[in-house]
Amino acid sequence: MTSSLALRAQAEQQAALLPPLLARATQLASTVMLGQHGRRRAGQGDDFWQYRAAQPGDPAAMIDWRRSARGDTRFVREREWQIAQSVMFWVDRSASMRFASASDLPQKAERARLLGLALAVLLVRGGERVGLTGTALPPRRGEAQLQNMASLFLDDDSADYGMPEARAMLPHARAVFISDFLGDMAPVQAALGKAADRGVRGLVIQVLDPSEEAFPFAGRTVFESMGGSLQHETLKASDLRARYLQRLAARKAALQDLCTATGWQFLCHHTNSPAQTALLWAWHGLSQAGGR
Amino acid sequence: MLGALGFGAPWLLLSLLALPVLWLILRAIPPAPLRRRFPGVALLLGLSDDDTVTDRTPWWLLMLRMLAVAALIVGLAGPVLNPDPNRQAGRGPVLFLLDGTWAGAPDWPQRAEFLDQALAQAARDGRPVAVARLTTPEPLVFQPAAAWQNQLPALAPQSWAPDDMALQAWAETLGDARFDTVWLADGIDYPGREALLAQLLTRGTLRVVQGENNLQVLLPARYDDGALQLQLRRLAPGPAETATVLAHGLDPAGLPIELARLAVAFDEGATQAGAALSLPAELRARLTRFEIAGQRGAGAVALADDSLQRREVALVAGREDREGLQLLDPLHYLRQALMPSADVLEGALPDLLPANPDVVVLADVASLSGAEQADLLDWVQQGGLLLRFAGPRMAASDLGRADMDPLLPVRLRAGGRTVGGAMSWGAPKTLAPFDEESPFHGLSIPADVAVSAQVMAQPGPELAERVIAQLSDGTPLVTRKRIGQGQVVLMHVTANAEWSSLPLSGLFVQMLERLSVSAATQANMGTQADGVVWQPRQVLDGFGRLQEAQNLAGVAGADVLQAPLGPNLRPGLYASEDRRLARNVIAPDTVLTPAAWPATVPVSGFARPPERPLGGWLLALGLVLLAVDVLATLAVSGRLAGRLAGRGLRLGALLLLGLALLGPVPGVWAQTQPRPGDDRFALAATSELTLGHVLTGDAELDQMAAAGMLGLSDTLFFRTSVEPAAPMGVDLERDDISLFPLLYWPITPQQPAPSAEAYIKLNRYLRSGGMILFDTRDADVAGFGAASPNGRKLRQLAAPLDIPPLEPLPSDHVLTRAFYLLQDFPGRHQGRELWVEAAPADAERAEGMPFRNLNDGVSPVVIGGNDWAAAWATDDRGNPLYPVGRGFSGERQREMALRFGVNLVMHVLTGNYKSDQVHVPALLDRLGQ
Repeated sequence: MTSSLALRAQAEQQAALLPPLLARATQLASTVMLGQHGRRRAGQGDDFWQYRAAQPGDPAAMIDWRRSARGDTRFVREREWQIAQSVMFWVDRSASMRFASASDLPQKAERARLLGLALAVLLVRGGERVGLTGTALPPRRGEAQLQNMASLFLDDDSADYGMPEARAMLPHARAVFISDFLGDMAPVQAALGKAADRGVRGLVIQVLDPSEEAFPFAGRTVFESMGGSLQHETLKASDLRARYLQRLAARKAALQDLCTATGWQFLCHHTNSPAQTALLWAWHGLSQAGGR
Repeated sequence: MLGALGFGAPWLLLSLLALPVLWLILRAIPPAPLRRRFPGVALLLGLSDDDTVTDRTPWWLLMLRMLAVAALIVGLAGPVLNPDPNRQAGRGPVLFLLDGTWAGAPDWPQRAEFLDQALAQAARDGRPVAVARLTTPEPLVFQPAAAWQNQLPALAPQSWAPDDMALQAWAETLGDARFDTVWLADGIDYPGREALLAQLLTRGTLRVVQGENNLQVLLPARYDDGALQLQLRRLAPGPAETATVLAHGLDPAGLPIELARLAVAFDEGATQAGAALSLPAELRARLTRFEIAGQRGAGAVALADDSLQRREVALVAGREDREGLQLLDPLHYLRQALMPSADVLEGALPDLLPANPDVVVLADVASLSGAEQADLLDWVQQGGLLLRFAGPRMAASDLGRADMDPLLPVRLRAGGRTVGGAMSWGAPKTLAPFDEESPFHGLSIPADVAVSAQVMAQPGPELAERVIAQLSDGTPLVTRKRIGQGQVVLMHVTANAEWSSLPLSGLFVQMLERLSVSAATQANMGTQADGVVWQPRQVLDGFGRLQEAQNLAGVAGADVLQAPLGPNLRPGLYASEDRRLARNVIAPDTVLTPAAWPATVPVSGFARPPERPLGGWLLALGLVLLAVDVLATLAVSGRLAGRLAGRGLRLGALLLLGLALLGPVPGVWAQTQPRPGDDRFALAATSELTLGHVLTGDAELDQMAAAGMLGLSDTLFFRTSVEPAAPMGVDLERDDISLFPLLYWPITPQQPAPSAEAYIKLNRYLRSGGMILFDTRDADVAGFGAASPNGRKLRQLAAPLDIPPLEPLPSDHVLTRAFYLLQDFPGRHQGRELWVEAAPADAERAEGMPFRNLNDGVSPVVIGGNDWAAAWATDDRGNPLYPVGRGFSGERQREMALRFGVNLVMHVLTGNYKSDQVHVPALLDRLGQ
């Protein structure tokens, strides 16, 4: 639990660097998907919105008799329409994420968890509900939920490459997928497609290590995946660089295309750059995704 | 053999041929694959290598490895720089033969080093070795060379030359052994050398090693024409050169000093040079030896003895009324006998005695005034020799008649006697042979010496032992009595030929010499030496150093001069009774002949660069190259990349550092403190006010003093407007102490006293306003004035200092209020009085003030024992280093110590400014108007 507490503390730290969600309420005021801030129109909700004169067609049950008894006209009591947004997270916990090319760089998994939880903190502060994709942690609001998320993030997965979990997604919710997306693309496509079908939109954040971007290898090398399931031997690693980079670029392009097609947004983040830029981007991304 | 480079195992170099093969093999084998975890491998799947050939090892890495292997091979082959070209000379036993004479002393270090190396070489070759020294021939013992190496110091040169007979005897002990010989010759010839050479040539190869320097020797000094004649000889004619001869002697306190030095120039091609040294008689009498400066060896030393000393002899005669009759003058014969070897003074006794002559001769003086007699007795008791001659006046007087005259050895009978004259029976008496106890023992008595008149001694119990010469009938001729340190000798005849023919004979002169009336000269030394045993007092070793003779046996008679030098007759100082005789290595007739060697015998010098095995260095180089190869291989295969690179580089740096530290790195320990000669010291000491402490040589104490001055400096900095720089240690001998206003001088019993120059500096410093705080640091165990070791040392150190009268610090001294108001001055120890310059006796208490009206001036010394530096000492962060007292009171004590320090510095810097408070009432009075 100590490490989850530490993670929480780190996430709080990251979150504290951004203006709190409430402070930016004006930005979100016009959006549909705002939490406890009313939509400034009558609708389902708990808070009083306005009294209006009853009009023909209003069911009698809607008439607020206490108000109406003060005068001659009958009033209907309207409530503000309130909807809390659910944001579902999927953070890759597979073995390939537990890689860092240098001792002073964080592991990809570490960065991914941090980003996810910081985002969750922000959202909870804004009154949104957060949860994990799948059935492990349905969206809820509140500090306890953050605690649960943090502890679940810390569970490592033994699989070599992670597959996005797209089950049990609430319709029209928001989703955030964080992974290195170096594994098979088919599950990613399937998950995004399924999400798009349900009207779920969100963010795809690809976290890469700088060495994965630069491929600074030479000489005779046997490359192994983190889990050891994949192996590739080369006599001259330096020769492979150009083609590797080509493939990496292709992978990024494929992700971008996929996101464009499904209405998601894509960001490639490197562990040697500050987490805050990614967090800022993600916050903007979520806000905009709501705004659409 | 490659000139200056040789190999121990040259055939190993053949393996260098394998290098090209190694090159090919190394090129063919690719480096091992590197296993690397990499998540991006998923993207690599299916990519194939364009080039099926692996990365080749780069050529420079191959070169590095080749170099490493080559260095190892060459290193193992045992390269040696400057190998000894003669090392293959043979396999059998080898004899190292040393002349071992004084002539080898000047280059003995080279000789010993050569021998050491040669022995080491023989040890490597496994040859049995014998070492022999011809000056002390001993039967040969062949044993492993290592056993001889320990005995090298025992083979130092001796102060004599090999003896011909001994050499022959030694050559016979060799039997029919066969061995090679390395002869470390000293370059001079001596009898028996040729024969030995021939002997050795029949037994094996012979090689001669001898030094190239041209030996210079110093002949015994002679006194001639009023000056000391010094003669130098050299072994072979050479270019013009100048040698310096030092004359050593004793100063009035009896300590050896250099009395004079004299340059003696050899002309080109000459083997002899000489010069005269003129010295006053007083200095001459104190000479002990001469030596050629800068040359070791007994040959460069000439000992001085009595022959250089000229005694002052005062001649006093009783009768001055016989002008014109020179041959009857009672002093004429004495004068003639003494002139060549002594300085003769003549005059009246009261005029002569203050000159403190060595000998006073009274010829037929019967009456002395009471004062004269007392003075003379006094003089005799202090070591003077009073020689009296009889004569008609003495015979006629009552001198020594009734009772013993203090200035006569015996009582005299009235009148004397005359034998063999016209009016008497019997013939003139001759001299009886001298007894063994007599100082004249050994002198031959000429037959024509006859005594016709004499004064007679009164028989008595002590007469027999006082007679040192007698006539054939047993009557005393010479009697002697010791008084105090001196003696009185009475010749019972006249000093002229009136009573005997003794003054006409050579015996007279010899007797005077034996009595040390006149010093011996080289010419008459032979006769002087006869018949006595000469006891060696100090002997010369081969290096020309004088050593106590210990229990060496005495040498009989003339042998001391004539016999050849050897273990039983060493050069040195010999003594008999009061006479000293020097036997020098070089006699006046010594001729130096360079040793000539047959053309078949190889002769070489010592000047050969030392053998330097290079194998170790090459092996080390190979290992370093291999270490570099490790790093380079890692770098090439990419394993040194990323975070490993930093670590690798660090590792490499550490490796290089380690190598650098392993190698000798001179100059690393450069002194950190600036020294005089450059201005940095003065600049450092004067840019800011700097407190100084005297370096005592005790590292711990010096550190403590430095820390103490640092603590005091910091305190001053924080509390007052005095802002000193970091304190400096001051070496009294080298540094300029005038730059420091205050010197702290801790006393330790072990510290050396400063030199005379340093005392001059110190006195100048004290007179010009400097202050020294002496701290005996022993107030805990010693009251002031008690004889603690530190206190004694302080007295000893301060004795030559110009220190005014001191007094315990009076309670109204300005030190009590220079900055803080203090009544006691604790350091680490507490409560002992402090001594400062005494106030003038007439100082009066100022009116209305609790203190006296004192003049300006800073006490040049403050003396105490409270170990202030320990109380002041702090480390760089200001933490106190030494405990003071206990608990809070201890801290209070430390605070008081610091306050004392502040007051002290204020006192030094502002003088008695605070004493001006006595004028405050007057000032106020004036201001009040």
